[in-house]
Amino acid sequence: MSQIALELKDVQKTINKKEIIKGVSLTVRQGEVYGFIGPNGAGKTTTIRMIVGLMKPTGGDIKILGKSIQHDYKEAAQNVGAIVENPELYPFMTGMQNLKHFARMYQGITRERIEEVVSLVGLEKAIHTKVRKYSLGMRQRLGIAQAILHKPKVLILDEPTNGLDPAGMREVREYIRRLADEEQVAVVISSHLLSEIELICDRIGIIKHGEIITERYVNEDDSDAVEKKIKVVIDVNEPEDAMNVLKSMEVDVVQEGKQLIVQLQREEIPPVVKTLVEHHISIYGVTGIKATLEEQFLELTGGNVIE
Amino acid sequence: MSEYFKLLYNELFKIYVRKSTWAMYAVLTLLIIAPAVLILSFDDMQKEYTDNWREELQKENEEYQKDMAEMEESPGDFVEEYNSQTIAKNNYYLENDIKPLNYGAWTFTLENAGLVSVVSLLTIIIGAGIISNEYRWGTIKLLLIRPISRTKILLSKLTSVFLFALCTMIFLFLISLLTGAIFFGFEGMNPYYVVQTAEGFEHVRIVNEIFSEYGYKVVNLVMMTTLAFMISTIFKNSSLAIGIGIFLLLGGNMVVGIFSQYEWAKYILFANIDLKQYETGNVWIEGMTLGFSITMLMIYFVVFVVLSWLVFNKRDVAGH
Repeated sequence: MSQIALELKDVQKTINKKEIIKGVSLTVRQGEVYGFIGPNGAGKTTTIRMIVGLMKPTGGDIKILGKSIQHDYKEAAQNVGAIVENPELYPFMTGMQNLKHFARMYQGITRERIEEVVSLVGLEKAIHTKVRKYSLGMRQRLGIAQAILHKPKVLILDEPTNGLDPAGMREVREYIRRLADEEQVAVVISSHLLSEIELICDRIGIIKHGEIITERYVNEDDSDAVEKKIKVVIDVNEPEDAMNVLKSMEVDVVQEGKQLIVQLQREEIPPVVKTLVEHHISIYGVTGIKATLEEQFLELTGGNVIE
Repeated sequence: MSEYFKLLYNELFKIYVRKSTWAMYAVLTLLIIAPAVLILSFDDMQKEYTDNWREELQKENEEYQKDMAEMEESPGDFVEEYNSQTIAKNNYYLENDIKPLNYGAWTFTLENAGLVSVVSLLTIIIGAGIISNEYRWGTIKLLLIRPISRTKILLSKLTSVFLFALCTMIFLFLISLLTGAIFFGFEGMNPYYVVQTAEGFEHVRIVNEIFSEYGYKVVNLVMMTTLAFMISTIFKNSSLAIGIGIFLLLGGNMVVGIFSQYEWAKYILFANIDLKQYETGNVWIEGMTLGFSITMLMIYFVVFVVLSWLVFNKRDVAGH
């Protein structure tokens, strides 16, 4: 396993006696892309602001490559690059002037590095134009450029594909993937576009009411989710008989024509099938339906509702 | 240290890359040239003395006396005072056998000391915006995630405001001198000049006089700019800071006037801002000394900076 790049330990934030973040703990390893999702008002942005040092946690600690953002700010911040919310840059300066401005806040960023970053995000043509004239997509690219100038080990991106066209989104996605795979950068992405997160991330954490309610690998095997109930569709000849059998087994079942939809844990599937067979019910098919991330998200958060 | 210079460079770059800053310099230039044109069109404002200056002065004095005699019926305090002062000054020239200085670039520059208030005004505008604008643009989020302490960022911003003031003062001085030289000619490298002090008239180098006139006014500039800087740092609102800063820049004396009968009035910032009161001897409130005023100014300055620092360092940068 690679080294831990970002670590949050029981991070809390109370504003005006209101608990905004109630003890968030998470770790992101080098080379890992972590998706951070949750409904509006769940505490995503607050958590991100604490990671980059814009807000101070009221409890717990945040470490970047082992350095606390609260106690070793300089060394920790050295290894963080970020876009927080919209990439707002100086509108009266050109893209290049903006990049040079931020480059001066680090040691040893060369002219070549700035040019390399500009071509990485594909802004060569517009780099000497004032940011005031940029489209949202161009500003997003410039935002990414300023975040990676100093080759950070932890990259925090708040809604990084917001405002990009589909081709731009794919480009950014591929670039983030490459950063993670080739340069071992740990990336934290927050997004409300779940399909985006699914495509880009290794692991996802869902935050609700200031707590991480679940964390899972995107391409994880179902064996990992033992606890999780799966929707299983059983195709039978005599649905009424089968219903009685299943009800006697005290499982959650709904009939839909000749199909029965059952909520089961993975290891419950074989005994249920066995019992049905023992009761001489002909089974024509058993299909497990893997819930999409979207469904899981809605299920876990109860929709995108601020309560 | 080089890190601090890079921060200063950034801040000054952000000030001078904006067109609004250059508009300020355009206005200042206009305010220097316009009076020069006016003075040139009224010739008697620039007296030329020839080698016969002794007789010319005497003739002038007689005219003033005649004026005053005529005005006896309708006494005008201001005119009378001006005339008697001029007579006294002319007598000083005659007694000490000094040829009065003709109007020229140096005199013009000295008279432009009043424009330091305009420089103060511009500096207050810059100082009030330097932090609150970062909030307004949203760039504060990108500025405060760098491996640089907030203290250093705050200090680099305050320092660059004062560097802006310094540059603008130098600009005012040089453009005044240049405009004066073009319109009225040059009086010489560093001519002598007669000034009125607490002890009567004195004969001084004009450059020293220019520096002290500008210098006394810089005290107000520094204090009001720091106040505006503090207000904008605390309230993240530049208009409020500009408003209060300019109001107190111009109306600070009034505040002292209102409370002048109280014993504690001498602790009011504005009672201590005009250090010239110790040179002319017109001390506002009895018992005040130069040392006292300087101490008070330093205390106020430190309080303004420390309050800004406390708020800036502790504040969470939250959403809009």
